Amino acid sequence: MRGIGKSFGGVAVLSDVELAVAPGEVMALLGSNGAGKSTLVKILTGVYTRDAGTVKVDGEPVVFADPRAAVAAGVRLLPQEISVMGDMTVAENISLADLPTRAGPGFPMVDDRAMNKQSRALLDQLGFASIDVNALVKRLSVAEQRIVEIARALAGQARVLVMDEPTAALTEQEAKLIFRIIQSLKEQQVAVIYISHYLNEVFEISDRIAVLRDGRNAGLFTTAAASRGEVLAAMLGRVADDLYDFAGGGNAGEEVLTTSGLSVPGKLDTIDMAVRSGEIVGVFGLIGSGIETLGRAVYGALGPATRGTILMTGTAYRPESAGRGKARGIGFVAADRKQEGIIGDLTVRENMVAPFQDRYVQGLFVSRSAETEQAKRWIDLLGIRTRGPEQTMRTLSGGNQQKVCVSRWLVDSVKLLILEEPTRGVDVGARREIYMELRALADRGLAVLVLSSDVEEVAGISDRSLVLDRGRIVGRFDKGALPAELMAATTNDPAFNAA
Amino acid sequence: MTTTTDRPAASPASSRGPFLTFLGRPSSGVVMLLVFYLLLLLVFSLISPFFMTVRNMMAIGSNIAFIGLMAAAGTPLIIAGGLDLSVAAIAGLVGVLIAVLHGDYGWNIWLAAVAAIALGAFVGAVNGLFTTRLRLNPLIVTLGMMSIVSGAALILTGGLTKPLMVPGFNWIGQGRIADIPFPPILMIVVFIALSILLRRTRFGRFVYAVGGNPEASRLIGLPVERVQMALYILSGISGAVAGLMLAAMLGAAAPAAASPHLLTVIAAIILGGTSLYGGRGSVWGTLLAVLILGTLNNGLTLNNVSSFWQDVTKGVVLMLAVSLDQIRTRALGE
Repeated sequence: MRGIGKSFGGVAVLSDVELAVAPGEVMALLGSNGAGKSTLVKILTGVYTRDAGTVKVDGEPVVFADPRAAVAAGVRLLPQEISVMGDMTVAENISLADLPTRAGPGFPMVDDRAMNKQSRALLDQLGFASIDVNALVKRLSVAEQRIVEIARALAGQARVLVMDEPTAALTEQEAKLIFRIIQSLKEQQVAVIYISHYLNEVFEISDRIAVLRDGRNAGLFTTAAASRGEVLAAMLGRVADDLYDFAGGGNAGEEVLTTSGLSVPGKLDTIDMAVRSGEIVGVFGLIGSGIETLGRAVYGALGPATRGTILMTGTAYRPESAGRGKARGIGFVAADRKQEGIIGDLTVRENMVAPFQDRYVQGLFVSRSAETEQAKRWIDLLGIRTRGPEQTMRTLSGGNQQKVCVSRWLVDSVKLLILEEPTRGVDVGARREIYMELRALADRGLAVLVLSSDVEEVAGISDRSLVLDRGRIVGRFDKGALPAELMAATTNDPAFNAA
Repeated sequence: MTTTTDRPAASPASSRGPFLTFLGRPSSGVVMLLVFYLLLLLVFSLISPFFMTVRNMMAIGSNIAFIGLMAAAGTPLIIAGGLDLSVAAIAGLVGVLIAVLHGDYGWNIWLAAVAAIALGAFVGAVNGLFTTRLRLNPLIVTLGMMSIVSGAALILTGGLTKPLMVPGFNWIGQGRIADIPFPPILMIVVFIALSILLRRTRFGRFVYAVGGNPEASRLIGLPVERVQMALYILSGISGAVAGLMLAAMLGAAAPAAASPHLLTVIAAIILGGTSLYGGRGSVWGTLLAVLILGTLNNGLTLNNVSSFWQDVTKGVVLMLAVSLDQIRTRALGE
């Protein structure tokens, strides 16, 4: 891939990016959130079309109109979410795209025996003789499902395999299986592009490392000769200083939220933390580390699954439902804005007043004028760009939708605001505004808890930060911690500190 | 990877054709229905001299009232993400229950009516329990309930039609206020009440929020299940009242009298612009759709079109309406 460029709505996401992988080589692709990794592999695999540049497979220039075309050319993406058919057998999953047939009574029938044999041979070749080709895929472990997925790609004659965080949902033991299979892929001269956040994984299995930053190439390393320090430096660069450069902070008051031994079976393990009024506490973790769970556990969205002690403003609180969390003064902004945040068909005003609808009821009826007045105040306060309170929510930009989701909770009864991935899918300009708003809200006495997989964001806005890894707190930092320090805590890798 | 790149900014409405821009407006559905309704009135009054008469208009009103009642209550339910296929079967059961309690067991007619309405509420509550607590698909739950309820109605009477002639009671179906038949009056009152409920009250806001995005509603602490539960009960009650009115109108209770109208009820709600995916819709759209379907029925009958062809027409209108809803959803930038 050479000179690749792509922009969305006038915003350049990739410019002049290069990436080359040789057969039998594992190329790690690194970059922090928003660096353009996703977009690059989506162009490579035909999900997006490029604006500029060339893509060659085996020296031949190609243009993939859709993912099918990429698959036909031997380029496969293994997305982060495993995509297998759980109710079909291993052999069926592997052979699905090209089922062997035999002559039947007047029409061809699926040749089960040939299919099983073919799949068996493929799995043996990959070194997984232990997987039964007749087993239903849903009965396999997650790692084994991954292997089935890889075998399916090989059955389709894959020449280039793009793996997006293949170990994200796996234990360390299971991750070893994936490394083993990558070894045998190398032996079979498949080119592998390996995307991961885990530095030590990357150093263990890759031959070379390509780093993207802000949609450009930021470094190309030969793994054996590279140090972790220089790779991290290329990945994170200087902190985008102006993004996080604003005044305020440093006036933490009383503890608003205190947890001790907070656990959710299989997700969170004895979390002890506190958030004080007037401060922003950031929690950084990679996907699957527990940052998806922590905020919900405190808020009550997980229901009675949550164990441990939680104090809100000094008194015990059981997070049994979202309604309970709201009643105890917690506001919650979910990561997936479209699915869990906004109500797209309703107006900005209706979205804003929904959590505390009671406040706008006079007698039997809702007072629309009171709602409009409040909505206008919030639009001014947060600088929300909208045609007015009556604009339909779905037509706002991501950043403005997010501000609406924040504004909902700005009533005096809310003491703690929890935000998951507060700037996901938000453009850079609006990001800075959201950070400044969060700071301003904290300065006014709100306790703010931010959960994010964006390490720069957590390092940039937090008064104190925590690092989560596999459900446990593995690092605690004060204001001014560097992104690299947080990242190093999660890779949990003593070698990094030496580098 | 966790990044989600910014989606391209929504193109301004002006770059789409004027028709799509119009379709994209939330109010467009009701306006188009009104235009369609007026056209229908015009066409039929040109073809048939009997159509545009006070007498015929009142006949249409009486005929559509019980369908309108069920469609009125079904609208907020579908807006909130629910669905009730058992409502017409409830209407059938309620009619025969009153006839049996009054005729065979000698109950006071009004006591029997109250019991029947309570039964409607109970059936609605069971629907609600299965869909909200067990999180079952409402299509399956209420389809099953439809079968149970219509079976029960047949069991009660052995499949026979029961006479139900009690002057005071029959007034509900046949009486007039200021020379206007009572059934359409009641229907209009119910529509007005539901419109106020949806537009002006806290509960109404919750209905739209819950249907528009149940996950988001749960996460901001709205009583998602309670809202849906209440609407299932309301739908059950509407079925009961519709059945009571139908029996009073006919002077008899037939177990299967109302069931064929289920399609019309659902068709009216969808035709009226309520999204089957929830979150959007209005009772006024439903009312116009009920009028359109009733008028279509009446006008075709006056012109001696066979009822078989009327079914075909109804189906075509419904499919057109659903296609239009899909186009609208896309115009809204889904």
